[in-house]
Amino acid sequence: MARKMQYGIGMRTQYAAGFDMQKGFAEHVEQARLAEKFGFDSLMKNSHFAGYPLQEFQQLPFLSRIMTEAPSLRLLTGIVLLSLQKPLDLAEQLASIDVMSGGRLIFGCGLGYREVEFRGFGTTQKERVPRFIENLEAVKRLWTEDHVSMKGSHFELMDATLSMKPLQKPTPPIWMGANADVAIERAAELADVWFMNPHQRMETIERQVEVYKRALDRFNKPFPDEIPIAREIFVANSREEAINTAKPFLEEKYKIYHQWGQDKVMPKGDDNLALDYDELLEDRFLLGSPEEIAEQIIAQNRQCGINHLVLQFHWVGIPQELVLESMTRFAEEVRPLVEQGL
Amino acid sequence: MTAIQFGLMLRGQFPQEDDMTQRFNELMLQGKLADSLGFSCVTKGSHYAGYPLQDVQQIPFLAALAREAPNVRLNAGIVLLSLHKPLDIAEQLASIDVISGGRLIFGIALGYREVEFKAFGTTQKERVPRFEENLIAIRRLWTENNVNMKGSHFELEDASVSLKPVQKPNPPIWVGANADPAIRRAARIGDCWYMNPHNRIDTIARQVDVYKAALDEYNKPMPEEFPIRREVFVAKTKEEALRICGESLAIKYKVYHEWGQDKAMPEGDDDLGLEFDELARDRFLIGSPDEVTEQVVDLHKRTGANHIIASMQWPGTPLTATTDSMQMLAEEVFPKVAQAL
Repeated sequence: MARKMQYGIGMRTQYAAGFDMQKGFAEHVEQARLAEKFGFDSLMKNSHFAGYPLQEFQQLPFLSRIMTEAPSLRLLTGIVLLSLQKPLDLAEQLASIDVMSGGRLIFGCGLGYREVEFRGFGTTQKERVPRFIENLEAVKRLWTEDHVSMKGSHFELMDATLSMKPLQKPTPPIWMGANADVAIERAAELADVWFMNPHQRMETIERQVEVYKRALDRFNKPFPDEIPIAREIFVANSREEAINTAKPFLEEKYKIYHQWGQDKVMPKGDDNLALDYDELLEDRFLLGSPEEIAEQIIAQNRQCGINHLVLQFHWVGIPQELVLESMTRFAEEVRPLVEQGL
Repeated sequence: MTAIQFGLMLRGQFPQEDDMTQRFNELMLQGKLADSLGFSCVTKGSHYAGYPLQDVQQIPFLAALAREAPNVRLNAGIVLLSLHKPLDIAEQLASIDVISGGRLIFGIALGYREVEFKAFGTTQKERVPRFEENLIAIRRLWTENNVNMKGSHFELEDASVSLKPVQKPNPPIWVGANADPAIRRAARIGDCWYMNPHNRIDTIARQVDVYKAALDEYNKPMPEEFPIRREVFVAKTKEEALRICGESLAIKYKVYHEWGQDKAMPEGDDDLGLEFDELARDRFLIGSPDEVTEQVVDLHKRTGANHIIASMQWPGTPLTATTDSMQMLAEEVFPKVAQAL
């Protein structure tokens, strides 16, 4: 694996109800500046609507604002809940971000799974796959063609030409988040890159890489240069210290995912996020000393080809100084060890 | 009598062949300049599929500007509300309000372009009911938790937005309206009527009476802030102003005419395909600093407008022409208007 490892910072920007979100934003500005200073490669913002009992910023305004703090980082929508959106709206907003940032956008998309979101956008869980597919086709056409005419199930493009095309040609890279095997096959068919699922154990991912490769072969597509995954990370002096420090925050986080029903979309045998913390830890998060984490990253690169790691340093309730310290130790201690080891 | 504030409208519509990276940088530069010159707000409109013009989308642009222009209010003027899902808009705009420390203005209007309605899976016919139910939903999402509401095209099931705006109870809601029924609706559902940019001032003055009568009917006071959008250009003399901006302003109105904007305007003042001189009369604020001051004061006296959102660039206007005009407006017209009132 000759290609250099790239690192992103994931910003969910989630805070407990009642937290002052202006302070939350200031914390993330500080993290973005630090990521820029340390030479991270990308900055990711996810998207959820009606995220109660958590607060968070919306993806596109957040990325549009934070880009000015981190002018070298690529901007990753990780992910857009594509089935909810109208393609003309999304294609224009994303094209604006690509142009405003000088061509730094990565368009990450995925299905979503929360009832409150489907209903809020006037759709249903049942419609999500056909909408996803037609929306992606429409966005790609709007980005690359003029005078697009296309009748979808929930929109109609009538000789529509975008107000602005993206800067990156033919399109910004399209990453598709996928958990289930069938979704991974869809990623091979429709997207530039499979964005691996952050909640899965590595052994599951290793198996799924084979699913992905077989599907790529079927569609006559090469294995992409870039193989990204998002992971939770905390760097400390030892695994024990990392686990104990991160425990209250990560437990809370995964409890809420379970409430939201995230695990319903994960593959059988690895579909329970209501597990004890100790079981969740196993092979799922990067928690430990710099040496231990470097070893895990190298192993993931060798086993699965992962070469773009989007790291989530921040969880609900974690004090800012712990985030900054973990980021700093990652950049100064873990990264050189990975470079030596690869 | 309240003082008159001046905001800047960045229409940001550019010909097909323009390099949009450069144009975006120029828009940011104008936003920063407006901030440093003491403009009250920067306004960005929204159109989709704006061919043959290019444009930057509203929400990403205002979010990006929040840092570069730390003082001005950020005016989403306007959001084509009927097209959208209320949960989406409520969260995106709340994010901008929080990120900017409470500087958002939420402008809304109906829209009129078929290509937009169709692409958002709706129709011209549905636009009024959608507009009203979307606004009700957004106000509720901004002020309540666990909202339950079944709309014609969405359903909120125990929904609480991920983020509430900083401004309480909500950022100011300005309702753009051209036609008399729309103005009455603005009185009923908005925090103020955002007076329309295209009509002659005599038409607007008549419509202010419609607005006031409607406010009375709904038992609402006249709003403190009474905004109007206008095409504005200042130069040393009127001749020079027209020489610099006349052609590009005329092109802009030709496109509006082609889009069918004037179909949404009140009878007797519903033709934007007029010759330029006729079009400009009692409609645009153009001239020397003294002349524009006089026009602004006259506008204020006839309509009560106290917040003028100035559009100062049209397709093809050179950047320096616009920034020179902004500078002259701020340095000469702002103080002259303050004195004259």
